[in-house]
Parts: sequence; C-alpha cells; structure tokens
Amino acid sequence: MENVNIINKEVNVVAFYFHSKGMRLRCYPKIMEWNGKRITFTETGLRHPTKKGMRSIHVFDMTDGNADYRLEFDAHQLTWTLISISDMHYGPESYDEKVGFSHRNLHSQFAK
Amino acid sequence: MPRLETVQLPVNDAEPQVMHIDLNSCFATVEQQARPLLRGRPIGVTNRKTEYTCVVAASIEAKAQGVKVGMSLHDARILCPDIICVETDPPKYHHVYQILVNIMKSYSPNVIMKSIDEGVIDFKGTTKVINTRSLEAIGYEIKQRLKDEVGTWMRCNVGIAPNRFLAKQAAGLHKPDGLDIIDHHNLRKILKTLKLTDLTGIAERNEARLNSAGILSPLQFLDTPAEVLRRRVFRSVCGEDWYKRLRGWEVDDHEWDTKTVGRQYVLDEMRPTPESVFARLMYLCETTAIKMRYKGLAARGMYVYVRYASGDYWYERRMFKTTFFTNVEVMRRAALLFNRRPLDEYPREIGVSCYALEPSTINQVSLLDEINRDIWLTEAVDRINSEFGEFTITMASSLEAKGIVKQKIPFGSTRYFELLCNRA
Repeated sequence: MENVNIINKEVNVVAFYFHSKGMRLRCYPKIMEWNGKRITFTETGLRHPTKKGMRSIHVFDMTDGNADYRLEFDAHQLTWTLISISDMHYGPESYDEKVGFSHRNLHSQFAK
Repeated sequence: MPRLETVQLPVNDAEPQVMHIDLNSCFATVEQQARPLLRGRPIGVTNRKTEYTCVVAASIEAKAQGVKVGMSLHDARILCPDIICVETDPPKYHHVYQILVNIMKSYSPNVIMKSIDEGVIDFKGTTKVINTRSLEAIGYEIKQRLKDEVGTWMRCNVGIAPNRFLAKQAAGLHKPDGLDIIDHHNLRKILKTLKLTDLTGIAERNEARLNSAGILSPLQFLDTPAEVLRRRVFRSVCGEDWYKRLRGWEVDDHEWDTKTVGRQYVLDEMRPTPESVFARLMYLCETTAIKMRYKGLAARGMYVYVRYASGDYWYERRMFKTTFFTNVEVMRRAALLFNRRPLDEYPREIGVSCYALEPSTINQVSLLDEINRDIWLTEAVDRINSEFGEFTITMASSLEAKGIVKQKIPFGSTRYFELLCNRA
C-alpha cells in the first residue's frame, strides 16, 4: 500500500510562482512553512478545482523531490491546508508487515 | 431479404474524417501526473483499500508485468509484488476530462465522449472551412496541448479513420503514445496483423461464432459477404452492421436514451443484519432518486433484486400508476418490493433500479396539496444540499450506510460524472 500520512492542518505558503498553462496565467505555491520547517516545492503535479458545497477549493499536488504533498486552497476563506504527505516508502512492505504476509516470497515461489 | 446496397458495398474510400482519442490507463496516468514520485512505478488504482478489491486502472509499468484491469489487487500483487495501490480521486479525473473535452471541442462541434477517458471528434463538414490542416497534424497538436494544459506525463493515442470503429482500432495499434491512420489503402494490411479478438466488440463468444462459420482472421471476416454474416454467423442485423463497420461505413452513430436509473451494492458484511441491509438499500434509493432528478426524469417502474451468498438470485418488479422522483417515494416503493424477499439466506448484493422513465413533472403544480408539499420539500432539500454539500439534509433511515457505501468511479458512461464529483 502507499504510505500516506493524513495531516489536515492549516499551513503558511510564503512564496508563489506563476505559470501559464494553456491560455491563463496561474499561481502555484513555491515555499510552505509547516511544523517549523520550510519546504520548497520543486515540481507541480496537478492543480484541480473541486467544491465543498458552494465553496471553491483548489487542490495542488506538489513535490519537493522527497515526498508528494497535497495542499488545498480555500478560495472563500483564503487559507491553505496541508491535507496529506505521501513519502518515498511506497510498495507492499509496510502493508505486508501489517498482515504478516509477503507477496515477494509468494512471487519467488512461483518463479521457482 | 438482404438489402441490396449492403451486399454490394465496397470498402469506403472517403478521406478519413473521424478521430478517436484515448487516454492510456487514464486514472493511473493522472495519478502519476499528480504525484511525480509515482512516475515510472507500477501502480494500480482501486476503489477501496482492501486486499480483494478490483484494480480499475493499471499503469503502463504494471501492465508490462501482466497486471490487467479488472483483476483483484491480491492477484495483481502476485504478478507484480511492487505494485502501489492508489485510491480513486474522482475530482482529479473530472478535471482532466474537462480539459480533454475543451481541447476536442475547439476543433469540431461534433464531439462524442464515449467514456471518461475516450472520445470521438467527427470532422465531417468542418475540414475546409475551419481546419485547413491535415488530421495527422491536428492529432499531434492535440497530444501536445494535453501535455501543456494537464502535464508532461500525459499521453494519448490518436486514431484516424473513415468511421468510429476503425478509428478506435487505429488508436489501439501503438499504445501508449501512438497516432495511426486507417483508410482504404492500408485497411487490409492492418487487419492482417490483428487477431479476431483484437477487434473491438469481438470477444470469445463472437470469436466462436465466427470460427464456426470458418472465419478465423479479420481478413477473412472482411471478405465474408453480408448475407453470410447476417444469416449464418450473427443471425441478426448485427451481421450487416459488422459488414459495413469493417469496410469503413458508419453504423455506430446512435444516441441511446436513458432506459433505467439505479444502483447496486455488494454488501460489506458477510452476515449482515436485516436492519443494516435495509439501511443500505435506503441509501441506494436516495442516491437513485438524486440521479433521476439530476437527469430531469421520473419513473413508473421499480425493480429490486437480491443476490444471496449461495449465488441464488431474487427479484421483484412492478409498474405503478403514477410517476415518482422524490426520495421518499423511491424508498417507499422499493421497501414495498424488498420486504417480500426470502429471508432464508444472507444477502451478498442488493440493487434497485427505476425504469419506464419519462420527463419529470417537478415544475407542474398538482391539484393535490399532499403531492405539492412533497415536491416542494424535495426541491428545498436539494437546494440546501447543493449550497452546503451533498447529504447535509438526509433521510434518517439511510444514515447508517452514509459512511460505508461510497459512489465509485464508473467504467463506462460519463452521464453522472458531475454529480459524482459534487459528492466526492
């Protein structure tokens, strides 16, 4: 399973950059302050709008090269929320530890 | 009697004017686009995070290791131990879908979305007036625009042909980033490289039908007369349709009306109590009513089914004298039928479906005050829910199921995609 840590805390985004995707100039977060750390984003994955009732929410999937961050910007309240962090430890290991079963072993048995 | 024009039809030698665009492993590619650390890794997109859930989309890397769409995650892990399971995120896919639709509509008003990740642009009538370039150049431009407007990881297949069927075949020739054209010059050459089951719409059973008539390859299929296909192979008008389809004549440009609206649910408990089953059924009724109102429809018929753990199937259906579209009415009528089910076994799957659909009379004031009050209440609740989010006001009888039953990504139609995204 993927290793996703749900944070759901308000954060400060202290620097932005602008990029033209298609016809419009859009604003993206560049540096985020969270938990006493400064995280500089190196790449934007995807920005997509969504709604909570009538409130417009912009969801940003960002990465700093070590982990993927999911940020939400509430266009009504003008706040940034860090929703989750998915780190590099992808793969079935963490899941296997939980269930006490390794598909790697099973795969190697089939290979034999 | 076979129609004469069908029997005599040659291969369509018109200029290819239909473009089929197909995003590869759409959900998985969008997830890889959104999360750069997933790029180049085998991922499987699932509707739930459980071991035996179904993989609804697999990335190109996972497919290369044998993972197929529809496989259980458990089986996928055996084939590909490093597969990463990611849960579906409908608003993300909806955003990409909207961008794709906008790109396609900028070339022709005649755009038909076949599903969430594929659509057809019909250029007939627009070529000389608007698009002065070749369709091949437009195909490459669409690929580039998708990268510019969504992200650099996005890729799509483009197929160009005289009809929709051949355009879809062309789009599947060089995955994941191909652009192919099928016309009367290369039709036979391309069909020679394919198997019967490579053709869209020909699976094992149709293949067996064709084989029984001595047709073993797509080329033989192409050379078979329409009468043989109609009378011996398919034994229906489908034979003529296949004859035309393979020759590049358009037969798939039908628009089908909505015939039924419904929902099904595989129960999350092995031994559910009757109360919990009823709560889930009520939730399905509520969402079915919301879907009906979203489409502006009302139903007269109600169908309820239960599939039991032993594999037995029970259903009850009834036509009512009056139409219905409110939550309460759908629930009341479904409960009426559902309470007649046998109680000998534990149910595994339940479903509710409304049929005999007609345009809703929600705007028509009734002579009966009770009916008016019901309609006005439904309208008020719908307005509040659209303002503050789905299920802000909801039925108490389905409350238990709210956090458990989730609307998931559909495989095919995009009819309720907006509604699904609002709920997500």
